[in-house]
Amino acid sequence: MLKLTAIWLTHLLPGLLVTIFGIFLLQAVIALPAQPVGLTTEVQRELPNSGVTNPVTAVLLNFRGYDTLLEIAVLLLAVVAVWSLHVVPLRTGHARYVAETPVLAHLVRLLAPVMILVAGYITWIGSARPGGAFQGGSVLAAAMVLLLLASMIGIRPRQRWPLRVVAVLGLAVFVVIAGGTLVVGNQFLEYPRNQAYALMLVLESVLTISIGGTLALLFFGAIPETASFETMNDEG
Amino acid sequence: MWPILLPLIGTIFTFLFKRGGAATISLVTVSAITLAVAGLTRQVLQHGEQYYAVGGWEAPLGIALHADGLSVLMLIMTTIVGASTSVYAMGYVFQGPRAGSAVGGYFFWPLWMFLWTALNVIFLSADIFNLYVGLEILSLSAVALVTLEGKPAAIVAGMRYLLASFLGSLAFLLGVALLYTASGTLELNSLGTRMLSNPSSGLALALIMLGLALKTALFPLHFWLPPAHASAAAPVSALLSGLVVKATFYMVLRLWFDVFPAIATPAVAQILGALGAVGILWGSILALRQQQLKLLIAFSTVAQIGYLFLLFPLSNGMTEIGLDAWSGGVYFALTHACAKAAAFMATGTLVYALGSDRLDDLPGTFRRYPLSVAAFTVAGVNLMGLPPSGGFIAKWLLLTSALNSGQWWFAVVILAGSLLGAGYVFMVLSRMLLDQPQSIADSKQARPVTLTTELSALALAVFVFVLGVTATPLIALLRIGAPF
Repeated sequence: MLKLTAIWLTHLLPGLLVTIFGIFLLQAVIALPAQPVGLTTEVQRELPNSGVTNPVTAVLLNFRGYDTLLEIAVLLLAVVAVWSLHVVPLRTGHARYVAETPVLAHLVRLLAPVMILVAGYITWIGSARPGGAFQGGSVLAAAMVLLLLASMIGIRPRQRWPLRVVAVLGLAVFVVIAGGTLVVGNQFLEYPRNQAYALMLVLESVLTISIGGTLALLFFGAIPETASFETMNDEG
Repeated sequence: MWPILLPLIGTIFTFLFKRGGAATISLVTVSAITLAVAGLTRQVLQHGEQYYAVGGWEAPLGIALHADGLSVLMLIMTTIVGASTSVYAMGYVFQGPRAGSAVGGYFFWPLWMFLWTALNVIFLSADIFNLYVGLEILSLSAVALVTLEGKPAAIVAGMRYLLASFLGSLAFLLGVALLYTASGTLELNSLGTRMLSNPSSGLALALIMLGLALKTALFPLHFWLPPAHASAAAPVSALLSGLVVKATFYMVLRLWFDVFPAIATPAVAQILGALGAVGILWGSILALRQQQLKLLIAFSTVAQIGYLFLLFPLSNGMTEIGLDAWSGGVYFALTHACAKAAAFMATGTLVYALGSDRLDDLPGTFRRYPLSVAAFTVAGVNLMGLPPSGGFIAKWLLLTSALNSGQWWFAVVILAGSLLGAGYVFMVLSRMLLDQPQSIADSKQARPVTLTTELSALALAVFVFVLGVTATPLIALLRIGAPF
């Protein structure tokens, strides 16, 4: 009897709730207009004024650049949140995730340069075709994680400030550009017409590096601590 | 724009220079934000509601910002509570994941600046997806602030908060997706005018209200709040109870009156009000049963959130009575933010000093830490809703609108809640004022506290009385752009 109640609570009740929710959702989706109105026409109309030809990039960096600014803030926030939780002591000068097999080392040697090239290309092409900083940054992050795993790059003790700079770079440049638009008398994040493309390209490039670095830092799962903290840890 | 940009700049600098200057940088940021908010307040007072098209792109293509009396009052609330909490945090000793490493103290500042950014983003946004982005920053930084304390209890509470909060965010986002597909806009006012009564907008309303109620800790979705607010560091508890739940409540309010009036029926308003009423009674009764100081105050927050939701059934009908209820609810949020933050700050000082947060360890504190006891007393008067505190004005407005709209049962709940509130405040006060031989406060075990922490709590508590006196101009400000 007790067992039955337990099954009811852990399996059947959630299942029932999900089913009811599913029915409501189905009903809601059916009620939606068959041809969603959307904002495609508005985006297409203003696209020539945005500085780029890829509508997705235009929305992300220009029309709704403010949302993207805040999303970049979320990335930095994730790093701060993870770092505030826990500390990973670094025993040597390198990351401690070391897996030294010849296969990995060779593969990484072959892959890493190509991945970095691809990251750059994806970012560059973002102004005209699908691509951009988030996609390029993810590829860059993957390359960095591989390099870390093969211990070809590492973090030196007592040199954490470059990490902090990489994490904050994207947001800082974004904020500087946003503040700059205010200083020259434009609306917040209103790029001057002629410089829109150049500004967005600079922004995309910096964001790629920062997003790549941030995601790679999150891979550590904690703040890579320096030697001084390590000794403190050993004493305590 | 500056109220949003300034805390973001503060984040960058406190993150880069956290060792020495973080607190100083924060104080500079606080002053700058104060000036920016004052400037915006003047603008709204002189020219009425303000609209702003970010990037020069008009809605629906771009993101619209909007400032009316309600947004400005929320910004002022955030600035006042934020400034006093910042001063308090400078004198507060953070525990951190490893005692002595002070990691907690370093990371408090960038996280708090993120939280502030999110609050100002939410209060100024007129775009439902932008509100979601603000909500994301708000939740993530709030959770990180809870786990900053590093104790296992805080980590567990933070994890539970994280899961509850993200469930709320996802429900909200699904609602936003449904609304956007149906209407092709994200701007609040045009969403409101294009609202059709059909199953899809009904589900959107349900999802958005459910998500926000979960984040605001409306009964019975309050389960995550007491452990999270009670186990966090004192300045964090003050920010969470004072500001974070108010931000999600503000979103409920904004969406209810701007987006959903076409489909938000009186029946839905009655449900929200009924949940609020049960929350008042349930939270107060549980507060009376607590043996730990911070848990008691956290349950009191659950009760006080209930009052906020009485606004919805009482303001039904868009009349003069409705305006009273609306102003009363908003004023309640404002005074509760100050009073509850002050209460958490004062008790945080005492808990640190005594090394315990058991009610039975409180006797004798009035002699050794009179300023903190005074701060708690003053804040408590507001929680009870006694004149001349701002809480009295707010409750009075709610009470009269309950009677004038013929919904006397809500008046009964408001009065009962005040009585129960007096009960738990006196339960704490009587112990603080008790003169007991061999109390911890008189022993050598009790730690000295900084004047900064004691005075900042007292200043904030006294401000609640200022709110009682300045109610008339502030409520006049609130009516700029009010939905009535």
